[in-house]
Parts: sequence; C-alpha cells; structure tokens
Amino acid sequence: MKGIRLSKKIVATLVKDQVNYPSRLIIDTFGLIARCGILLILYWYIFKINGGVLNGTTFIFTAWSIFFYFSFSVLRLRDISRLIMQDIQSGNIEVLFSKPMSYLFYRIWWQVGLGVYSFVVINFFATIILILMLGIPSTMTIGIFIPTYILTFIFSAVLSLLLYTVVGLLSFWIDDINPIYWIVDKAVMILGGSYLPIALFPVLMYKIALYSPFGATLFVTHTVSESWKTNWYQLVGIQFIWIVIFVILTFIMFKKAKQRVSVNGG
Amino acid sequence: MSIKNEIKFAVYAIKKNIESSAELRTSFLMNVLGMMINNVAFILLWMFFAKSAGPIGGWTPMDIIGMQGFLAISYGIVLSAGNGIRKVAEYTASGALDRFMLSPKNLLTRIATSSMNVSAIGDLFFGIVCMTIYSIAIHVSLIQVFLIFALLIISMVSFFSIIIIIYSTSFFFIDANNVTTGIYELYFTPALFHGGAFQGIMRFVFTFVVPTLLIASIPVEILKNISLDKLLMIFILTIVWLLVSIFIFNKAIRRYESSNLMTFGN
Repeated sequence: MKGIRLSKKIVATLVKDQVNYPSRLIIDTFGLIARCGILLILYWYIFKINGGVLNGTTFIFTAWSIFFYFSFSVLRLRDISRLIMQDIQSGNIEVLFSKPMSYLFYRIWWQVGLGVYSFVVINFFATIILILMLGIPSTMTIGIFIPTYILTFIFSAVLSLLLYTVVGLLSFWIDDINPIYWIVDKAVMILGGSYLPIALFPVLMYKIALYSPFGATLFVTHTVSESWKTNWYQLVGIQFIWIVIFVILTFIMFKKAKQRVSVNGG
Repeated sequence: MSIKNEIKFAVYAIKKNIESSAELRTSFLMNVLGMMINNVAFILLWMFFAKSAGPIGGWTPMDIIGMQGFLAISYGIVLSAGNGIRKVAEYTASGALDRFMLSPKNLLTRIATSSMNVSAIGDLFFGIVCMTIYSIAIHVSLIQVFLIFALLIISMVSFFSIIIIIYSTSFFFIDANNVTTGIYELYFTPALFHGGAFQGIMRFVFTFVVPTLLIASIPVEILKNISLDKLLMIFILTIVWLLVSIFIFNKAIRRYESSNLMTFGN
C-alpha cells in the first residue's frame, strides 16, 4: 500500500513538473519528427518505386510498425541506465539508500514519471495524424488487437526497465557503462524493428529478434503483423519468460551491488 | 591575432583535451571501442534493408559503407576537436561563457576547443575503416583519392557550420539546451538514413534548407560518379553556410549578458 502511494506520488509530481516545464515535450516532438516522420516519408517513396509491395508487405503495415517502435521509445525507459550510473558517480546513491524505500522501485517509477506526459501527449496527436493520413490496417481492427496490444505494451515496458536496470547496475563494477549501454541499445534498435521494420527482416534475424531479450522488449511492433492473431500468446509468453529471468538477475545483481557500496558520509 | 596563432592555440587545446581524457585509460578505450561497435548497427540495418528492397536511387549496400565513412569521419573530427560548441547552451545558462569572453583568444575557437567528445574518436576510427573498405570496393583511382580528401573537408566544414548555427540559437531561448537538442536531432538524424531514398522534394529540402545530405550522402554520390558539377555546388553551399554561421554566431553572442556568478564561471 505504501509502495503504491509512493509510486503514485512520484509519477504525479513528475507529470506536474513536465506540464509546467514542457521542454522535454519539445525535444521528444522534434525527435519523433526527425526519426519517425522523415523515415515514414522515405519508406513511402521506397514502397512507391517498388510497386507498393516490399517483401510481401505494404506501406500501411510498415508505417504502423515503425510508429509503434518510436511511440514506445518516447517513454525513454532506457534512460534508467544512465540515471543509475549518475547516482553512483555522484554519490547520490548513499542518500537514496538511506531513505525508507527500495532504491530500484524509486528509480523505476521515477523513469516512468519522466516519460509518461510526453508519451501521452505526442502519441495522442501522432496517432490521429497517422489514422487521418494512412488509415488503420485490417490487423488493427480485429477484436483481440487492443487487449493484446495493451498486454504486450505493459510487458515491453517492464522488460525494457529490467534490461536497462541490469545495464545500469553494472556501474557498481565499471566506471563508465556508456559503451555497454550503446551496444545493448543498438541491439534493441535493430531487433526491435526501428529503421528496419520486422516485416523486412531476413529469416535468421527474425528468429534472433523473437528469442532474444533485445527483440522481446519491443514486441509491440509485431502487433500490426498478420501473424499476430495466431502467435500473440507465444510472443507474450516469451516476454514473460524474459521478465522472470531479468527479475531474478536484477535481484541478484542488486544484492551483490549493495555489498560494494561504502558510505563515507560528510 | 593571426590565423597561425589561432590554429596553434586550437591544436594545443585539442592536445590537452585528448591527454586529459586518456588519463582514464580503461574508460577512454571502452568509449572508443564501444562507439565503433555501436556504429556497426547502422551499417547492418541498411545492408539488410538494401537486401530486401534492392538498389534505391542507384545506391548499393557498399555505398552505405561509404556514407557511414564520410559521416563518421566528419562527426569524429568535428566533435573530438570542437565539442565545446555543443555546450554553448550549458555555458550561457551557467555563466561559464564569461571566462571565454575574457580570454584574448578568438571566442569561437576558444569555445569550440573547450571540450572533446571521447566517443567521437571511436567514430573517427570507424569512419577510417569504412572509408578504406569502400575505397577498395570501388577501386578508387588517384583522382578519387584526392576527391575523398576534398569531400571530407567540405563535409566537416558544412557539419561544423550547421552546428554553430544550431547552438548559436542558445542565446535566443531561456530553456536553450532542450531547444538546441531538438533542432540538432532534426538536422543530424536524417544523415543516418539511406541516402538513395532521398529523392524529389526531400532531396531538395535536405540539401538546401536543412543541409544534412552535405555531410555524407552527396559526397558518396560525387565520389562514385566523379561529378564535378555537384562538387562545385556543395563547395559553394558549404562556403555560404560557413559565412552564415560566423555571422549568426557573432550576432547571437551580443545577446549574452554576463550572469556575474561569484564562482566566475564554474
């Protein structure tokens, strides 16, 4: 109960902050236009010169798949790694450890609170624009789409937070986790279906995306594909297995990490 | 002050920045190697894309490597030598610009060389590897070798000019850091995309209005087709952008008001 109250307070405070200082909203809007907007225009041209079909898929499916990737990334859950690193490098971790709450719990909710306002505002308008310009693909009109999308979205968010928390916790052993962060982030970017949508993946790459935690963090991009209605439970199951593995890994790493902290005071 | 003295000072400042960063040897090497691995992601993405979509705008998968070569070398050199320009918003907000203004050196040189981006050295090495592979693959002639060097200079100058313009806007906004980050994203992100996909109005916009394609995509096409018309065009464009950037920087700097911090800038 206390935990729920704390998480609600953190998220509410950060949302209020974002509403009053909308600078992050500006960056995220520019980011979405620069990445997703321009990419969609380029793909539109590429599909046009290829007769409207590429690798057996049409532009509308590709566009929504790419959009789901970039709309999810507006949450910026991956930034949790750097926040943990900054806490350790600045010594702030000592203060946070001394508070009557779980450090990881606090950091996770902090990260959610930081991104949720931009996510809601940008995606509301971007979704309307996309619907008006392209329409909705048939796969998004089936009955199971919305409930399974919400389920896989929640699992994607949890898995992203856990994956990047594990990277962040490495700061207890390594001075600078940035190089590891870049590599993990790029693995997620490639296998998650960012610049190259999953419909255009070669067979081997698709299998790697399916069974690795990097691809599983962004199964939201699969929801628009034709195969989603038959294999959604398999993908959600894979996400669940990875969540369990990463919960255990995070717990073990955090336990070991706490033993390495020396509080100097002052 | 003579240009010779300015260059001498810039080289000295860059040397000191490298020495200072190399002190943390493990972190330095990890940053360099991490960035090189990180950059491979973009090549893989567009190679897979080219495999699915076939040649677009006359571009082959090998041209993607050439594009990454130009992009990474320019980015690497400009930001390992002149990353300070990206910190103008931070300097103006904290009052740190005071100490640069009181320096007898040229203000732009002093600001630009005040910081280095360690990971940009990784970009530089990665770019050299890509450019070597591309040169071997297209069997470069002697003229093309000269062209590579000429195009690299043009690419670096255009990139540097545009980031001067972008970060000069720091003097016009209160929350400048976020605004400049947003504009920079809008300018730089399309440079990572498949150059052949920019056709028609998109090519016009990203050549003349937002000159992103001057960094890598157009240089690759000039090198491949030995197009002297295009070379002349991007040379003139680069000179224009350089003059505009210096003009804007000098105008913008007049808007700076010293914050008179007791800490004298830090």
